Amino acid sequence: MKNSFVFSGSGGQGIMSAGIMLAHTAIDMSKHSTYLPEYGPEQRGGSAKCTVIISDDEIVSPLTKKCDTLICMNEQAYRKFSKDVKDGGLLVLNSSRIVNEEIPEGVRVLSVPVDDIALELGNVKVANIVLLGALIGATGIVSKEVLVASLEEKFKTKKPEILELNMRALEKGIELGKNA
Amino acid sequence: MEKRFMKGCEAIAEAAVLGGCRFFAGYPITPQNEIPEYLSWRLPEVGGAFVQGESEVASINMVYGAAATGKRALTSSSGPGISLKAEGISYLASAQLPAVIVNISRGGPGLGSIQPAQSDYLQATKALGHGGFRAMVFAPATLQEAVDLTYNAWDYAERYRNPVMILMDGCLGAIMEEVELPEMKETTFENTEDWCLARVGGRTDSHMITPILPEPALELLNKGKAMQYKMWEMLDTKVEEFMLEDAEYVVVAYGIAARVAKEAILRLREEGYKVGMVRPITLYPFPKASLDNLDYSKVKGVIDIEMTIPAQMREDIELQVKGRCPVHEYGRSGGMLLDDEGVYDAIAEIVKGGE
Amino acid sequence: MAEYKRPSSLMPMATGYCPGCMHALATRLVADAIDELQQADNAINVVSVGCSALNLYSWKGDVIGSAHGRAPAVATGIKRCLPDRLVFTYQGDGDLAAIGLAEIMSAANRGENFTVIFANNQTYGMTGGQMAPTTLIGQKTTTTRFGRDALTTGYPLKMCELISVLEAPVFVARYALNSVKGVQDAKKGIKKAFEMQLAGKGFTFIELLTNCPTNWGMNPLDTLDYMNTNTIPYFKPGIYKDKEAEA
Repeated sequence: MKNSFVFSGSGGQGIMSAGIMLAHTAIDMSKHSTYLPEYGPEQRGGSAKCTVIISDDEIVSPLTKKCDTLICMNEQAYRKFSKDVKDGGLLVLNSSRIVNEEIPEGVRVLSVPVDDIALELGNVKVANIVLLGALIGATGIVSKEVLVASLEEKFKTKKPEILELNMRALEKGIELGKNA
Repeated sequence: MEKRFMKGCEAIAEAAVLGGCRFFAGYPITPQNEIPEYLSWRLPEVGGAFVQGESEVASINMVYGAAATGKRALTSSSGPGISLKAEGISYLASAQLPAVIVNISRGGPGLGSIQPAQSDYLQATKALGHGGFRAMVFAPATLQEAVDLTYNAWDYAERYRNPVMILMDGCLGAIMEEVELPEMKETTFENTEDWCLARVGGRTDSHMITPILPEPALELLNKGKAMQYKMWEMLDTKVEEFMLEDAEYVVVAYGIAARVAKEAILRLREEGYKVGMVRPITLYPFPKASLDNLDYSKVKGVIDIEMTIPAQMREDIELQVKGRCPVHEYGRSGGMLLDDEGVYDAIAEIVKGGE
Repeated sequence: MAEYKRPSSLMPMATGYCPGCMHALATRLVADAIDELQQADNAINVVSVGCSALNLYSWKGDVIGSAHGRAPAVATGIKRCLPDRLVFTYQGDGDLAAIGLAEIMSAANRGENFTVIFANNQTYGMTGGQMAPTTLIGQKTTTTRFGRDALTTGYPLKMCELISVLEAPVFVARYALNSVKGVQDAKKGIKKAFEMQLAGKGFTFIELLTNCPTNWGMNPLDTLDYMNTNTIPYFKPGIYKDKEAEA
């Protein structure tokens, strides 16, 4: 089973780290995974996109035209990539920033106001974790436990509050994803 | 062996260290900056030296000096920087110094694009500098292959006293994949003590390393190199031949393009079409025999897939096909990436059109 | 009285330099300093492109030829890998002050622990006497037939002055080889630079004002006077920086 995910948004929204976390978690679950970032020339605020492929078998081509799941963090990214979802694929949208956009036919949509939720939790920077949680809640693509373990590893040198905030963001996202 | 989920540039940087590299000089250029960034802290850990050069030109000449000491030296860059290094690479060849040069290639010509492309095939295989020399060119398609080729690159460089190039596009430089890292090689002067500047192996005589030679000596060197290039062809050509036995169409692709093409081939095989692939792992020496020895009573077409326009490997392919079947090409260029559908459609059109 | 003999770093043969050329003298001074410091087996000579490249064939110790202007980069690679060796570049003015300006300034600024011997004869000797970055105003060369004109070619580059304003270099000095005193001072300066390098102090730079009888179109004796009246007033000999003395 091969599953492709495109994370898109602008620089600074945590797109790349969400992609790496997903790929890393898949590897930790003994699956195969590739992560491919695409940057614009800007250091801040430019467009950001990454493709994550998760598969039970070795991954032949890491380059795909269409993805199974598209995650969009803002309107520009949505307008640019919304046509790249496969028929029957899933769109995960940051509805705090994407409003009144036309939805392509034949795709499922999961709208989560991740910026607002992150702000409520205390820091807009964890919006990407809320989003990752929603994705996992809705699809079960990777196990929550393994992701939690890798988050713990990632933040072990930081203050405990930071890990705690990320955990709450993840829990909230998973809850919203499951109920969608 | 240790398994790690690594970024392409960091994986080859680590593989270089494990392969015995103890000197790096380079200049910042996208998309290869993770190589110097990684080595700037990693080399001092193993007693090596890292220098951020003031230019591409200075960096390759620092590598020239370091290689002359008999230590394993590396530089990396991308197309525009490799052009600037051309002088130094030619000097490495004439002074017979082993060194490894990594090109994480991007869209060209000119400043081109910082996005990935396979636009430096001709530069790498035909003219890395003035004066008519060749260097082995390794073109990995996966990070594991990149690690393995980098790890062993100095063994070739030292055996033949010649620079070696590792050519991979920006996709492979940026991608993260799982790799198995080999054991650290012991660093010795075993292969270099006979000629290097380091006074090792108990020598008391002095050594001269020179990029300029009296004419008869230079001709002799060139004759020796010509024989060596033939030897590489016989001993060191690396190629993956994929589903060629019954193939009616043969794709030729290297690096990232080969991976995208392979997926298209698997899909076409499922549909019942007999498509195979020749994937050069060494671009120089080019795997001539793999193409020359195809069964042209069966093969109806050869398709060159590259992430560059126009295709640059085509002449090398045509020299082996020798007009025995049509040669087609498909590519993307300028930093626009190949993708599974585009490559499938291009191959399918030729294969299905031939029915 | 000391025995006057061939330095051990030089081959028992004539150099390739023209009669009366001070490159041969400069090379000898370097080799003498190496002998006096008993470094003949430890020295690495990084030779550049131009007449200085003729050193490749007369040098008996470890020697490496490098690309035009790149000797400081090559020496950087060598010294970083072999920090215990005595490493020096031997460069002319076209090599160092034109095509290799980036390499010399950057190596000096990094404080690389090697020595640069810079032979400044104000012309491109090997290619046949074209204008160098150090050619004096009014000096005739094959590319400045009516004399160097500052309006179109700027002014002769003063390398000691440039390098001495950098923070890292520890010893920067210029000597003129057209007098006995100048030659003696130069020898002392070279030796001091090597000693500082061996003590790990940092970047040392020795500029030697030399002649080019062939391309200046003068007999060698006349070049000595010419240097007194023309070269020395512009390129003033002296110690431009000495961190040891400052300390």
